[in-house]
Amino acid sequence: MTPIDRIAATNRWRGRPLVEKALLGLGLLALALALPPWPAAPAILVVATLVVTRGAGVPLATWAKILAAPLGFVLTGAATLIVTVGDHGVALAPGGLAAASALTLRATAAIAGLLTLTLTTPATDLVAALRRVGVPAEIVEIALLTHRFLLVAGDTAQSMNAAQAARLGHVDWKRRIRSTGMLAANLLPRTLDRAHRLEQGLAARGWTGASLAVLRPEPPVSIRRLAAILALLVALALFGCLVP
Amino acid sequence: MSLLVAEGLTYVYPGGVPALDHVDLAVARGRRLAVLGPNGAGKTTLLLHLNGTLRPSAGRILLDGAPVAWDRAGLVAWRRRVGLVLQDADDQLFAPTVFEDVSFGPLNLGLARDEAEARVREALEALDIADLADRPTHMLSFGQKKRAAIAGAVAMRPEILLLDEPTAGLDARSARRLLATLEALEAAGATLVFTTHDVVLAHRFAHDAVLFQDGRIVGHGPARDLLRDAAAMDRAGLDAVEA
Repeated sequence: MTPIDRIAATNRWRGRPLVEKALLGLGLLALALALPPWPAAPAILVVATLVVTRGAGVPLATWAKILAAPLGFVLTGAATLIVTVGDHGVALAPGGLAAASALTLRATAAIAGLLTLTLTTPATDLVAALRRVGVPAEIVEIALLTHRFLLVAGDTAQSMNAAQAARLGHVDWKRRIRSTGMLAANLLPRTLDRAHRLEQGLAARGWTGASLAVLRPEPPVSIRRLAAILALLVALALFGCLVP
Repeated sequence: MSLLVAEGLTYVYPGGVPALDHVDLAVARGRRLAVLGPNGAGKTTLLLHLNGTLRPSAGRILLDGAPVAWDRAGLVAWRRRVGLVLQDADDQLFAPTVFEDVSFGPLNLGLARDEAEARVREALEALDIADLADRPTHMLSFGQKKRAAIAGAVAMRPEILLLDEPTAGLDARSARRLLATLEALEAAGATLVFTTHDVVLAHRFAHDAVLFQDGRIVGHGPARDLLRDAAAMDRAGLDAVEA
């Protein structure tokens, strides 16, 4: 389980209606992409930080760490805007620094907006919600089962890896490659075997090959909260457009 | 009359590996039955037959005196009455949260949403995991997973609950808690059949015992007597409980 999965499953906003979280997260993302980066991007970053840390209860250090991870890609991309390669070699690009700063600000705000949704909502809730927008139930069920199998297979791979390491299977590159190859080769039949036993487990509970339907609690959507989120987004939009 | 009866049950796994060899067994209502034997004796294969997951090569199974049917309607009716909990809970839990997973069986029974939800709440209470309802199944401890898996079967209110190694891997305290829960389920009307390697546990908890070896029953009787019978236990490759 990744840290993002774990936080999404345990944060204070876990039980909030998806519509509210999606409106806020995707709204912040849309504003980050649509508004001029200054001063909108810093404002969006502040709002996202408050939502995730104060609202959902994610520790500030954890939030910063997760936000920083994709920034490596952003900074690498932005760096290419600063310099230009011409007849006289590498030189500073005219207006490059401003463009790079704008790109970094915009991308950071966009990532923060999206993270407010992904850190407060488990991936399985997002996948399950696809049914509401018309994705066939079969596809959604396969996606959810795949997610569950990835987690279980990940645990199995981790255990096998530890067992190999305990028997000196990773002491040098040659052995590491060999051990990893054996692990991958063993993981497939094990996963297939588990899938077969899962099928038996499902059949034992009356599954006859039709839908894998389960009860999914749906907390009531609060009109008041939706209005507050909408008001916040409008305020951010006005701030981003009107303040020079 | 026995609630569930197996007559001459024989099963050979694909590839020719024999697993059950003319097994005769009767499950009496309200009597806890322990199925004991060494690894590979055929205990799990037997349980998979008793709720129709596997179909025998020969022999038949009777539920309340009537032969069961392996067609879709027959299997649905059968599994409505006979629940099965697999040894590895990860083979059973598939939904994102405990609540959702436990609701799977009741919905397959065709219950309305409200009734299914009531069944889920009841099963979670019975297994003492109501506080775990919204917990992702992947974030449960080993013991919690076991309880969630059992709740998934209990929510279907089966008359017979088949449990494959229910206490395997649990620490002593968790095992005691689980057995107390199973006793409560029995008091509510369920008949328990379980496999185990733990002779002492079977001696303490079961009313009746069946000894398995190489796919055959080599001993059957009241647990208190049978599990102390050194000769019978030796035939099953097990150590007898000391008097």
